Amino acid sequence: MATEDARYRQSSQFRLWSFAPSHLASLRSESNMLAKTAISARLQSSNPPVCPIPDFLTPAEEASLLTYYTNELLRAAEFCELPTEIRATSAIFLRRFYVTNSIMTYPPTELLKTCLFFGSKADGFYIRLNKFAEKFPNTTGEEVIAAEYILCQGIRFAFDVRHPFRALEGAIMELRRLESFENDRIDRAHGNARNILKYSPLVTDAYFHYTPSQIMFAALSLADEDLAERLIKNAFSGAPWEVEKKVVEVVQSCREMLQCEPPEKMNDQEVRKAMKPLIKKLKKCRDPDRVDLVALQKARKEQAGQKPKKPKSGLQDDEAVFGGALVDEREAKRRKMAEAANDPFGPALG
Amino acid sequence: MAVSPLVKHPTDALQQVTARAVSSPLKNANSAQASSNGTPLSVSVVPNASAAMQSASLDIAERMNEDEKRKYVRGKKLGEGTYANVYLGHLRHDPSQLVAIKKIKVQKEYTEGMAPDAVREIKHLQELSHPNIITLHSIFSSKDQNLNLVLEYLPLGDLEMLIRDTDRVRYGAADIKAWTGMLTRAVWFCHENFVLHRDIKPNNCLIAADGEVKLADFGLARSFADPYKPMTTNVITRWYRPPELLFGAKHYSGAVDVWSVGLVLAEMVTRAAYLPGNSEIDQINLICQGIGTPTEENWAGVTKLPEYTVPKEVTPLHGKNYYISRFGVIGHEGVDLLMKTLILDPKKRITARDMLKHEWWHKDPKPTLKKNLPKKSGGEEKLGDDLKRRPGVVEEDRGNKVARKLDFGAAR
Ligand SMILES: Nc1ncnc2c1ncn2[C@@H]1O[C@H](COP(=O)(O)OP(=O)(O)OP(=O)(O)O)[C@@H](O)[C@H]1O
Repeated sequence: MATEDARYRQSSQFRLWSFAPSHLASLRSESNMLAKTAISARLQSSNPPVCPIPDFLTPAEEASLLTYYTNELLRAAEFCELPTEIRATSAIFLRRFYVTNSIMTYPPTELLKTCLFFGSKADGFYIRLNKFAEKFPNTTGEEVIAAEYILCQGIRFAFDVRHPFRALEGAIMELRRLESFENDRIDRAHGNARNILKYSPLVTDAYFHYTPSQIMFAALSLADEDLAERLIKNAFSGAPWEVEKKVVEVVQSCREMLQCEPPEKMNDQEVRKAMKPLIKKLKKCRDPDRVDLVALQKARKEQAGQKPKKPKSGLQDDEAVFGGALVDEREAKRRKMAEAANDPFGPALG
Repeated sequence: MAVSPLVKHPTDALQQVTARAVSSPLKNANSAQASSNGTPLSVSVVPNASAAMQSASLDIAERMNEDEKRKYVRGKKLGEGTYANVYLGHLRHDPSQLVAIKKIKVQKEYTEGMAPDAVREIKHLQELSHPNIITLHSIFSSKDQNLNLVLEYLPLGDLEMLIRDTDRVRYGAADIKAWTGMLTRAVWFCHENFVLHRDIKPNNCLIAADGEVKLADFGLARSFADPYKPMTTNVITRWYRPPELLFGAKHYSGAVDVWSVGLVLAEMVTRAAYLPGNSEIDQINLICQGIGTPTEENWAGVTKLPEYTVPKEVTPLHGKNYYISRFGVIGHEGVDLLMKTLILDPKKRITARDMLKHEWWHKDPKPTLKKNLPKKSGGEEKLGDDLKRRPGVVEEDRGNKVARKLDFGAAR
């Protein structure tokens, strides 16, 4: 058990993608603020300037939209008949991406396709790009991968997502071994908990705040509280009671989070209808230059192509690394900003 | 099973940055101005991708990428592989800290986005942290959207160089034991973390400045927990490919890596690949000759594998004496371990975990200390004295060549 925990602490999910709720909230509000600033500057500077500047999404509205689009992703994944773990991986990629990017900056309807395609690739499930694109209306393969790079950078190249599904199988085996519950009851709890895991943790922030086994216990407890309690008691029989109490509290708070998004919500038309006004609002305030990701990708490639001649100075060494870093005013500005902001995530990998 | 829900999130490490206010992003806001497209439009704005490029400096993700990139300075090219160029690099603020920067090439044949090799390598190296596995320090992208993997710098070549340089590099049973031990620990750790390497061979075993062997090149790795879809059999360089893959088994396990480790061990002893097949058919023939023909008797179910074909003339499994006569320098226990890694039936083949429990490690000679291991010839100028010592020159305490041969005799 101890080694299991030690191993989890080494995972990129723990090192790069676990936050206290307050930290996550501040990252998101920073992303929201940066997007607002950039987009309003862009609109003002267009010719003629856009007037009035539209209302922007608040961080709370972005959160609702993110839930909605994660739901859309899961529905698309179901339509594509992707395996459970890949659906889950893709959903988590989308949620991670929108921690440091605003929904107003990159179109979520595009990104969710990219997440599904890349999520499959990352899990070693190779689908032909064009076959995949065909499953979506008016979508080309080029569009699907246009944002792949942006996605990878946004998820900090952490391609391995730790899910609670295997922990659930272990827990169910353990329950059967205990022989204190009817098999029917265990089967029912198993099915319900699995359904919860396939939805609720993916459309909430559970993965950011809880470990796979905590999420599993929370889902099991929603499915059948006694069973979960019994397992927790068992697992901590030797440990001091404070430890068990702590675990129960954590599982309880995770449970509350999952409860807000029960699996029935996935196909709830009312919930989806209620999002209409926000979707409308998003359309008015999004970044006009990033709606077409294919064009953006082309522009990037072009810019990379026209590598400026480098001065043969001491800088040469540095410059050579990044083939085409433009040392100009913009760069200098950015450098200043980067310094001011530091790395909001803390230290690098490794 | 991950029963313990005790792990807390690393809030403390990250908290101090949370309070940080947005650093006046207005500074950059004007940058979009120059590029604004002249077409007047009342309601919507004409999209302009290059305007987006300019304001890209505002993204947190971009900014972090820039920061990561700026931490390193790239130097000369170290080498070239099939899917990447590797450069020497160092930390900007401390040039004595060397790194290897692996720049993934843009693949012409693969047009479906980021190359799967790169995805696999990044995915697994991000999760594996072990002294015998190459460390991935960082990843960043350059302007042209090329991926750069910042890896631990391993200046002393690889096991293949040592094995091949028979003129200048001499080594013995204790050295082989040390190298094999380090490789086995790496493989064990991968398997503990449900990762199959699938390309173990001497030139993927790189050597650190202190002599530590580091398993590298995870471009073919995969997790073996994924239950769906059959697994591809087209992995592992042919000479190190186990019979189950050659016969087209669609489900396989850590045993495939163990077979490769066994052949690396064999190769270290004789300094020539043990089964250097020049085609898949030839590879199967060599396995039949060098180990024995896979049959239902020694491997239940083998004849049912999709591509099972063996030469008509059945070679019985070789006994221990056969291996002793070829690999005797590593002693009886060493040969025992070698034979267990080369068991035809993957279900009976020893696991990496059990390899580590084998008694060979505790028998004399003890594995050579890292710092005393032979090094490749033509060492780097920057390295310390002991690394500069001419490889192949047998030092006093190591005994001369003849003495070592006698030692091997004694070790039996
Ligand atoms: N971490 C490192 N430190 C020092 N040199 C390295 C490092 N990684 C790679 N190299 C050098 O760069 C060369 C290319 O490495 P790379 O891993 O891309 O390909 P390879 O393993 O040689 O070939 P292939 O990609 O075909 O398997 C190696 O042969 C080695 O000389």
